Amino acid sequence: MEIIKVENLNFTYPEQKIKALEDISFSIEQGEFVAICGESGSGKTTLLKLLKRELAPYGDKDGNIYYKDKRLEELDARIAASDIGFVMQNPENQIVTDKVWHELAFGLENLGIPTPVIRRRVGEMANFFGIHQWFRKKTTELSGGQKQLLNLASIMVMQPEVLILDEPTSQLDPIAASDFISTLEKLNRDLGLTIILVEHRLEEVIPISDKVMIMEKGNIILYDKPQYIGQELKEIDENHKMLSALPSAIRIFNGLDTKGQSPLTVREGREFLSNNYENKVVTLDRFSTNYKNEEENIIELKNIWFRYERDLPDVLTGLNFHVKKEEIVSILGGNGSGKTTFLNIISGQNKPYRGKILIRGKKINKYKGKELYKHNIAVLPQNPQTVFLKSTVKEDYKEIGKVMGYTKEEINTYTKEIVEMLSIKELLDKHPYDLSGGEQQKVALGKILLLKPKILLLDEPTKGIDAFSKKVLYDILLDLKKQGVTIIMVTHDVEFAAVASDSCGLFFDGEIISTDRPVEFFSNNSFYTTAANRISRHMYNNAITCEDVIEICKLNGVKKDYERQKN
Amino acid sequence: MKSFSSFHPTILFLYYLLVIFISMFTMNPVILGCSLVGSILFFSMMNSPRAILKDIIYYFLVFILIAITNPIFSHNGETVLFFLNDKPVTVEAIIYGIAIGTMLIAVIFWSKSYSQVMTSDKFVYLFGRAIPKLSLVLSMALRFIPMFKEQIKKVNQVQKTLGLYSSDSITDRVLSGIRVLNSVLTWSLENAINQADSMKSRGYGLKGRTNFSLFKFDKRDMTILIAIILISVIVVLGFAFNIFEFYYYPAISILKLSRVGILEYIFIFILMILPFIIEVKENIHWKLLRSKI
Amino acid sequence: MNDKKIKNIIIIILIPLCIALGVIIFKDRKYNLISMIIAILSCIPIFLTFEKGETSTRRIVIIAVMIAISVAGRVAFTALQGFKPVAAIVIITAIYLGAEAGFLTGSMSAIISNIYFGQGPWTPCQMFSWGMIGFIAGLPFMQKLLLKNRVVLSIYGIFSGIIFSLIMDIWTTLSIDGIYNMKRYMAAVATSFPFMAIYAISNVVFLMLALKPFGEKLERIKIKYGI
Repeated sequence: MEIIKVENLNFTYPEQKIKALEDISFSIEQGEFVAICGESGSGKTTLLKLLKRELAPYGDKDGNIYYKDKRLEELDARIAASDIGFVMQNPENQIVTDKVWHELAFGLENLGIPTPVIRRRVGEMANFFGIHQWFRKKTTELSGGQKQLLNLASIMVMQPEVLILDEPTSQLDPIAASDFISTLEKLNRDLGLTIILVEHRLEEVIPISDKVMIMEKGNIILYDKPQYIGQELKEIDENHKMLSALPSAIRIFNGLDTKGQSPLTVREGREFLSNNYENKVVTLDRFSTNYKNEEENIIELKNIWFRYERDLPDVLTGLNFHVKKEEIVSILGGNGSGKTTFLNIISGQNKPYRGKILIRGKKINKYKGKELYKHNIAVLPQNPQTVFLKSTVKEDYKEIGKVMGYTKEEINTYTKEIVEMLSIKELLDKHPYDLSGGEQQKVALGKILLLKPKILLLDEPTKGIDAFSKKVLYDILLDLKKQGVTIIMVTHDVEFAAVASDSCGLFFDGEIISTDRPVEFFSNNSFYTTAANRISRHMYNNAITCEDVIEICKLNGVKKDYERQKN
Repeated sequence: MKSFSSFHPTILFLYYLLVIFISMFTMNPVILGCSLVGSILFFSMMNSPRAILKDIIYYFLVFILIAITNPIFSHNGETVLFFLNDKPVTVEAIIYGIAIGTMLIAVIFWSKSYSQVMTSDKFVYLFGRAIPKLSLVLSMALRFIPMFKEQIKKVNQVQKTLGLYSSDSITDRVLSGIRVLNSVLTWSLENAINQADSMKSRGYGLKGRTNFSLFKFDKRDMTILIAIILISVIVVLGFAFNIFEFYYYPAISILKLSRVGILEYIFIFILMILPFIIEVKENIHWKLLRSKI
Repeated sequence: MNDKKIKNIIIIILIPLCIALGVIIFKDRKYNLISMIIAILSCIPIFLTFEKGETSTRRIVIIAVMIAISVAGRVAFTALQGFKPVAAIVIITAIYLGAEAGFLTGSMSAIISNIYFGQGPWTPCQMFSWGMIGFIAGLPFMQKLLLKNRVVLSIYGIFSGIIFSLIMDIWTTLSIDGIYNMKRYMAAVATSFPFMAIYAISNVVFLMLALKPFGEKLERIKIKYGI
């Protein structure tokens, strides 16, 4: 049975010429799990919001949306509110009340449901989601993952038929994100809930979805089963940007020009490789790229001990670390392992109680006043919004120029340089909060680059941004490196670290252990490594990225009995 | 947790209302004394000995201050002790000062334990029925405050690494404070819209909203409610029949101690130490239980 | 019974009734209690209009944000003793969002900041003072005046610092003497003078520096989301 049907939907925002959605038609069966993807600005969020009546944006709309054969506008207000649930991107901004139990009950209170019924439903859901342990807590005391789970649960108590989610895991760390996505899978499988999900984390989402919809410029360019989308997308455009956002298994499958049903998960990818490819050549030949051992250390940390307060446990325990000039270094590690604390040590915001820090050969406490931050160290914080103060990007840039004591001409030239490098010209006159996550981050980076730093510290630079923005960020980092900037980032993003860095370290138990070049680093890890490596490690030694895997597969060639096995 | 605070919020609110009202309503020294004893006893059940001692010493000083300074402001009374700047200092004024000090400190200690007992969720619940919108605003604001504090700290750090207003001069402090607050204001206002959307998408604004709470009105609440109502009726009768009448000026009146009067005072005393009794009873109960195991 | 009636009844009957009760039945000297009750009663009409009125969800959330900012704002000025942005934020809120929002922000800030710093019989009085500071600033003609004229704005800032302090001193006097004692009042005013001065000055400084940037933010939200 069709639960949602969209017919010839067009939508234009007020005072905009270009349609945000153009003649969209599709339908979703009851119980289906549909993943929607596309570049930012492709109309995904607009479409989702139009499906939820209460959130429908203002603008010119024509065409029809049906929920169970009834036009959305004609639905009873109570049914519209309870049957279609909506989870948003930022876990923080959806919570209303200060107590977990009250938040769970909020929707039911609005529907006017009597206390005993609320009590039963809330209890049931709290159990299903494992919330009962923190049922009486304050909502501000929860972790990001718990908050998003609470948001989901407080919609599930209203017993929706359709659940719509707009990038629900983009602000979560990988483990919390995986948990969240498997909860969705469970809801879909055990309760038959229809789920419509927009996500960046396609590696995990695509394998569990029944259908994938790819959007571009307000149109649906593809709507099919996940096994076929890779191939079909390639047929539409050989170099389509979305191709690089697909799960590794599909990308490898695509890169090897195979036809048929593509593998989706790591397991299927492994089977695909062992069934079809030889492994005569096990190691990919690599010449060590610009690993300049003779260069001086630009940052040196020796035996650093740190704790926040006297009575609290140590966060850093005898940490040693050094960085060569003009390198990109990634520090990986779990949540709360002290990665951000470590960055703050380098930037002088946290002061260790023991140990020595040398920045460009000079002790950190010898830097007086603003010296440390003037043409020296700059930090891009995890949340780029903390950087903005003014009403337009341009004003923000001007102000930092003033603080740095640049002349008017200097401000203009520097701004121009940075604007060109980041290609953010059209964003300059906008309000920072009107930009998308990826844009906000670029603009924030621009502001920080105006400090003309020699060392750039990045805290989770890929959090909440999509695959294209990651690619752009990667190019920017390479550019900066060429200009002589040393870059240190702490991140959860294994895939990004594998591509972008010259060396990687693992943060564990207050120390940085096993610093190595990415190839050695990831091929020696079995869990903390890229999906491409997990797909290929049983056959090949050092293939880290999808490109590596494709290259080594091509070197080895297809198994002779490939055709027979396939039949 | 603590036994008295586990009563239904309505009971707690009613109790505090009654006790504070009586304490502020009368100047009768016996009632004020009962109130002071009751408030301090209960407060000391809820806090560590160190905190209690610190508070008691501090408020004792306040008490002395009020008692001593009252004659400076008030020259009523017949029994003149001596003259200060040609103004009489009277025994009545000093004793009035002592009484008023007792009242103020009793009320302050009641307020202190009130803050500990009536946690925000009880408050929100209590007013959720009468003023649902405002109690929701209250609940939202209570969630925002720790969030904003956190964000203020973050922005502060970031601004420092941008080399902004890092000196210790007052101008820099004021300016940086306002900048930080400005940034947090933008952040919170923009995000507030999301929250409003989340509320609407969960049906906020539909007619006939109900109020859910975890609080249950049980038998124990009923018993105590009846007890409180009975005692208050008795006390109000006492006031109506002028049993508690007492005045300080021009001369201090004599305490009327009829048989009914004594009975009334006993009831007032019971009312005032009720929370303390409940705590003690619970403590003994637990000790017994433990010794049986 | 509609809310207007309730409001009128409360204002016209209850408040004078309280005073009358105080004077006649309680044989006066109970001004401390009466002042508390009057302060609470004066808040009720605006609370009720807000409850019964058609306030948009967005506006409700924004009022909650402003309350929280005024309480949490203190943290941004920890380096400056005694610098409290509450009154200034209440005034800015009132200028941009009107008298009702101003009153609510003021009175609710009092309740909430006392959750952190201690409730007491002074809470209703504080609610009323901060509420009224917001209410007056949010009256249409005051809104215009305060926005246009910086001198008026400064005067209002000083006024609200002083009036808050003076009202609280009245409360102190009433609670000690039971009646209004001029001498005691003067002494209370004198002891609280330094705080009053800091308060008035910080209000002016804050208003001067923050009205424009904060106002821009509120204005933008109002336009962008049609509040």
